Amino acid sequence: MKITVWGNQLLAWVAAAALAESGNVVALVADQTRTLDELLSKTANEPGLSQLIAESYESGRLSLATEQAGLENTLHLFALNPDQYETACLLAQKLADKHKQQLLIINQSNFGVGSSDKLQAFLKPQAQQHVAYIPDMLAEGTALRNYKYPDTLIIGCEDDWGQMSLKALLRPFSKNLKQWMVMSSREAEFTKFANTGMLALRLGYINELANLADKLGVDIEAIRDALITDPRIGPHYLHPGCGFGGLNFQQYIEALAELMLESRSSKLLETVLTENEKQKELPFRKLWRHYNCNLEGRTISLWGLSYKPGTPSIDHAPSLKIISTLLAQGCIVRAHDPQALPLIQEKFPDEPNLVLCADNYEALNNSDALLLLTEWPEYSSPLFDQMHARMAQPLIIDGRNLLDKPLAQSLGFTYYGIGR
Amino acid sequence: MPLRSTTAAWKNLREHADQLSSNHISDLFSDDPTRFNGLTFRTGQLLLDLSKQRLNQTTLHNLSALAEEADLHDWIEALFTGQKVNCSENRAALHTALRSPKASSLTVNGQDIIAAVHNNLDHMRRIVDRIHQGQWRGFTGHSINTIVNIGVGGSDLGPLMTCRALAEHQSGAANPVQVHFVSSMDGSQLSELLSQLNPARTLFVLASKSFTTIDTLANAATAREWLRRSGHTTTDDMLTARHFIAVTANTAKASEWGIPPSNQLEFWDWTGGRYSMWSAIGLPIALKLGMDGFLSLLEGAHAMDEHFRHTPFLSNLPVLMALVDVWNINFLNIHAHAILPYDGRLGSLPAYLEQLEMESNGKSVTRGGETVDFHTCPILWGEVGTNAQHAFYQLLHQGTESVMCDFIVAARRYQTSGSEELQHQHRLNLANCFAQSRLLALGDSILDNADTQPAHKRYRGNQPCSTLILDELCPFSLGQLIALYEHKVFVQAVIWGINPFDQWGVELGKQVATSLLGALENPESTPGFDQSTNGLLAAVHAKQKGEA
Repeated sequence: MKITVWGNQLLAWVAAAALAESGNVVALVADQTRTLDELLSKTANEPGLSQLIAESYESGRLSLATEQAGLENTLHLFALNPDQYETACLLAQKLADKHKQQLLIINQSNFGVGSSDKLQAFLKPQAQQHVAYIPDMLAEGTALRNYKYPDTLIIGCEDDWGQMSLKALLRPFSKNLKQWMVMSSREAEFTKFANTGMLALRLGYINELANLADKLGVDIEAIRDALITDPRIGPHYLHPGCGFGGLNFQQYIEALAELMLESRSSKLLETVLTENEKQKELPFRKLWRHYNCNLEGRTISLWGLSYKPGTPSIDHAPSLKIISTLLAQGCIVRAHDPQALPLIQEKFPDEPNLVLCADNYEALNNSDALLLLTEWPEYSSPLFDQMHARMAQPLIIDGRNLLDKPLAQSLGFTYYGIGR
Repeated sequence: MPLRSTTAAWKNLREHADQLSSNHISDLFSDDPTRFNGLTFRTGQLLLDLSKQRLNQTTLHNLSALAEEADLHDWIEALFTGQKVNCSENRAALHTALRSPKASSLTVNGQDIIAAVHNNLDHMRRIVDRIHQGQWRGFTGHSINTIVNIGVGGSDLGPLMTCRALAEHQSGAANPVQVHFVSSMDGSQLSELLSQLNPARTLFVLASKSFTTIDTLANAATAREWLRRSGHTTTDDMLTARHFIAVTANTAKASEWGIPPSNQLEFWDWTGGRYSMWSAIGLPIALKLGMDGFLSLLEGAHAMDEHFRHTPFLSNLPVLMALVDVWNINFLNIHAHAILPYDGRLGSLPAYLEQLEMESNGKSVTRGGETVDFHTCPILWGEVGTNAQHAFYQLLHQGTESVMCDFIVAARRYQTSGSEELQHQHRLNLANCFAQSRLLALGDSILDNADTQPAHKRYRGNQPCSTLILDELCPFSLGQLIALYEHKVFVQAVIWGINPFDQWGVELGKQVATSLLGALENPESTPGFDQSTNGLLAAVHAKQKGEA
């Protein structure tokens, strides 16, 4: 099939590459991204993605197209940013003007509940012109795998012809498929919100419990181990830590929190978001109290700057707040991350007191404390004796409960975790 | 020095007053169809209408002669150039220097004080920025989001009045803060406030010029006790360092109390308490409005300073307002002055001006030590006009006292609110403002059939009124307005020959209170005060014992 993918973000790139790989001819209309080199550099951090893009481009099945050329196709995928709703409306209008007959728009953008219906209003359903909504379920770091091998596909489309076209298009991605769930686009949009909100609530709840455990002197990890044995609860999204981040997750929760507040005066998710922002600074607060509310002149090491392991992305990452706060308190910050250093450098240009270290042990030189902020696997079993030798003060604040607390303590470290 | 009342200009004015006394304000309007234009004055964002006063152009010229005779020009220069105009305390009164632009300079006691003022403003900006960026941290490490200003008199009234007046101009900082004010010695404001605040996120500003003011230190001690009981885990020194800022001229005392130098904002002995909102005492204002808003307030005041210093008396707003007050007080025998802002935001302005005027000019001895034989500062009070209409306007309209009134109102309000109803409320407010000054000045002569009414329904009018119209209420125009009153007070003091910058009348009470505190703390002692005081002490002791 010939399909146009609209958008300049992870979902657009992944969808374009995966669809081209399975034989479709894909025109990617990606705003400012005009050359293959630009596209490759933008996608370099997502495992396997730039390689697949290069191959598809080589084969001729993937091209970077102008808007004019993109409008020619009758099959479209909208993978736009949440703030591009106006653009989506304009495109729908242009497509309706251009095409008299069959047209299918697959909307995967996060514009909120009811927005696909609003896009549909531009089209002519009697001429088989339809908008379907498929929630974006990608996670940075595993995006390509998520797209190609979904367990479940939620399809927001009530039209038979639309469903048939979608099934044909998505057939190559249904090897692992356990569920093909069809509902209205409004329901599908709501499902995506509900899903994200549920995860945020679980994270918010376990963090709240962890903070309480801190006060009560119990170890949250023991509580968690017991909790997850209950099949009604299960283990996912119940790791206490110093806050969640990530661009999409944050955007979905913010949108849902706003919707809840406006339509229901409910502060449930808003509270989760506010508490999460506070949670991001929890390692700082533990440090602050350890050093009697004065960090002037201290050297502080950070391990892990991306919002989660496996990605260089620093969107809404706890490290951003921690770095700003430590610098404002007069600290020298020595930071390491396997992938995020260039983005941190970009975010904090001209900060003489922020030293980015290529080696995680080098970041510990003369340090008064280590703050571990992202659970990169390579941090999980470090060389404690080397750490001890480099640090001025053997103090570890483990924002992800990644390290073995008794071991660290037995080796002479002062250790603070989250709720332990 | 002979008293001002013995001068030719004074006598001339007395004769003129006798001639004019039979004229009702309504007659003065009938006599002169250009009266409004001739008696209306503008500078910057302020318009002053004196046409509803009991005077004419001759009066103003005679008053101007009185000002010349009092060497007002020289006194204004003395004020601005840092001469020791506060003779009883042998120091300058340089509130004007606090709002001078950075490029200017003024040397006092060998120091360029403008540079010092701007260094202090820079220090203030660093503190404000740190708080607004959420980087001022309390004992838990959470950012401070609540400020409590503890001060009294000049360390309370100016910032309080300004924060309330300009609340709509709140800074758009990333971490905006709530600002509260506590002043009363009895702890009632503080104890109620503390029950609602989170100690981990509260920062106290201790504002005291001397850092010995018992009212402020008593409240500060209660605040620190509250913090100490909060379950914090830090040291006492650090608790004070993270939760207290001092604004003081006595840095040694502030350090002794435990406040580190980095948390001290200084001001100088040449800043009088009631003239101090332009100094670091204005920190709560800067925290509410942002530093840019605070600087705009200073710019407004500076614009008024320039106007006052360089404009001929007969078009100089502070000079004219002062001279008209002198006319009312000394030649028309009016000894009450009502401040009537038609603007709920200016609700604290009357209290602010009560201190400014009555603490400055509530004096009866000249600079030369002679007792005056004329009236000085009148009783001054006020209230938001539309509320006062339901309270004391009855007295203004039909009582036996002559009262001069200042009507203050903004021309523009709510124009960008998008609410037609709010704009209607503003029109209603303006209509009431203009109606009341019209009726107070002109009486029921404005009606066709007034004389058919029974006596208890008559309005005699002839109460002199000034109207001040602000283009709109903003930091700049408020700065102008307050500086206008400051300079008015100074001009009056020059005419009367008194020192407006000291306040010896508030000292003795403090000493007497100290001696009484001993008697209250030792119920067994035999107090040796006057009969009434001894009796009151005994009554209180009896009650406290009974209930223990």
